[in-house]
Amino acid sequence: MFYRETGQFKSSYKADQAIFPITQDRWFILFIFIIAFLVIPLTASEYLLQAVMIPLLIFSLAAIGLNLLVGYAGQLSLGTGGFMAVGAYMTYKLTTAFPEVNIIVIFILAGLISASVGFLFGIPSLRIKGFYLAVATLASQFFLVWMFNKVSWFYNHNSSGTITAPPRELFGVTVTGPTATAETRYIVALAIVCVFALIAKNLVRGRLGRSWMAVRDMDIAAEIIGIRPFQTKLIAFSISSFYCGVAGALMVFLWLGSAETEAFSINESFYVLFMIIIGGLGSILGSFLGAAFIVCVPILLTNAPQLFGLSMPIDLQKHIEIMLFGFLIVFFLIVEPHGLARLWQIAKEKLRLWPFPY
Amino acid sequence: MNEIVAPSNKETNANESSGLHKDASFETLLEVEKISLSFGGVHALDEVTFDIRKGEIRAIIGPNGAGKSSMLNVINGFYQPQQGFIKYKGNERKKMSPQIAASQGIARTFQNIALFRGMSTLDNIMTGRNLKMRRGIFWQMIHWGPARNEEIHHREIAEHVIDFLEIEPIRKTPVGRLPYGLQKRVELGRALAAQPDLLLLDEPMAGMNVEEKEDMCRFIIDVNEEFGTTIALIEHDMGVVMDLSDRVVVLNYGKKIADGTPDFVRADQGVVDAYLGVSEK
Repeated sequence: MFYRETGQFKSSYKADQAIFPITQDRWFILFIFIIAFLVIPLTASEYLLQAVMIPLLIFSLAAIGLNLLVGYAGQLSLGTGGFMAVGAYMTYKLTTAFPEVNIIVIFILAGLISASVGFLFGIPSLRIKGFYLAVATLASQFFLVWMFNKVSWFYNHNSSGTITAPPRELFGVTVTGPTATAETRYIVALAIVCVFALIAKNLVRGRLGRSWMAVRDMDIAAEIIGIRPFQTKLIAFSISSFYCGVAGALMVFLWLGSAETEAFSINESFYVLFMIIIGGLGSILGSFLGAAFIVCVPILLTNAPQLFGLSMPIDLQKHIEIMLFGFLIVFFLIVEPHGLARLWQIAKEKLRLWPFPY
Repeated sequence: MNEIVAPSNKETNANESSGLHKDASFETLLEVEKISLSFGGVHALDEVTFDIRKGEIRAIIGPNGAGKSSMLNVINGFYQPQQGFIKYKGNERKKMSPQIAASQGIARTFQNIALFRGMSTLDNIMTGRNLKMRRGIFWQMIHWGPARNEEIHHREIAEHVIDFLEIEPIRKTPVGRLPYGLQKRVELGRALAAQPDLLLLDEPMAGMNVEEKEDMCRFIIDVNEEFGTTIALIEHDMGVVMDLSDRVVVLNYGKKIADGTPDFVRADQGVVDAYLGVSEK
């Protein structure tokens, strides 16, 4: 009844090409921004920020990165964990070597290094496609993690083999390290994720995004209209790795505080892949929804028994949790194979006609 | 108008400069010179020679497996011929790739629809503009100022194509959901968006009903008339071929067996034999 685009005429292509062409959507997104930037930092508990919101943001960023590669450019990759590790370890190396450089600049430099590593591992995509490419990208996952484990230079030869976020300031406020509050870390992560999500959206609605989708949908036809598939795929690998690298850096510096290579195992790659499959391939919104699903559902399941006043042994609870989680993934994929983003779209279409769907 | 539909003169005929053809100078756009192409032991094309004049509609016909599609693939650089050469806009082409062909103004459609199924009609047509877009990745990231102006400029051209092909209502529909006839039309739109000098159409009317065929014929003639695009098309519907084309080249088993105006080709005994078979008496 209220969600109507009737009467909202576009008189310029500029207006028609806006990210949110419908007025109600613009109000909705403004509402989300107010909640995210003002309400949550002011009211949320330390637990909510540290256990839910910050990982949600960081995984959203990684999911956007992987979605650019898998969902838009159609190149299946299982190397996410490896690229996140590159971002994290490079941030650590750079910030310990140049402590005076702004941490945001360091994040971006680490992302660029991660992008060049992604570029190298994207080269096989010239010849191999689909599942075979996925197996080839496994090489990056295992090789990179092995390298960061083996070469002690990457963790400054310390005895524990972990990288720890040193305290760094941004505009006079400590944002990383043990003394940084959850609120500041949340705000920094939120700002970075918002900027990168906007950039990703701009890329996919422009020439590059169309080239990616063209290569994904039919590479021969893409070649005929003058797109160079190899170049297009390599750009996709680089940009995707940039996003994953920055996400990996944020994971250590704004969330965990310290990490070993264990944090970037193959499980991480699968997690991010699940997020984009559940959220919706080829959708920026889907990356957020998928990350929210994968991050929040286990927490909900953990807390559910207490909510209902049930008490059960902790190991039994853990097993039920894993089973339910797997069941929910299967359920969602059967109900809507195109992911939560598609469900959202269907809901909006239904809402347009509500309450008189005739 | 009807001078396009009307068959033009035989090559050898002295009437050539009678003004019946709209382009009396007969500037040659593309020359195919003794092209041979084989896959292993199969000779797809065997010393085929013909030319395409600027502004004409040139049909390539022949029975199944005659090498028509292979010919188009050679022209737009998808296959490399073992022998022979192609002269395009006066320059002999050496090694060819589809990207170079596209940047030189050759666009094509496919026998089996080769649209990007996950993208909307508008996005499909916009990909046809990709080669003309210049802004680098940085500008695309911010999508502001010059990048947005460029996007809007190309959107206008794409909208012009959409308007021309009368597909306004489906511009935001994913092409995978469209019926077959419309998909063919969108594919033509994608090729047109590149504003090609030479348009290669591989069976643009395959699998269409009469109405859809008539629409498509109308579009092909309009493209040729309004934009002056040179068109080379493969088609099995003889009625369409004879009506549309200025000149026809006939292939059979990879060899050229006839070349000339529709009337000339229709009367050729070799062509009749190739299509109907020779009686064994």
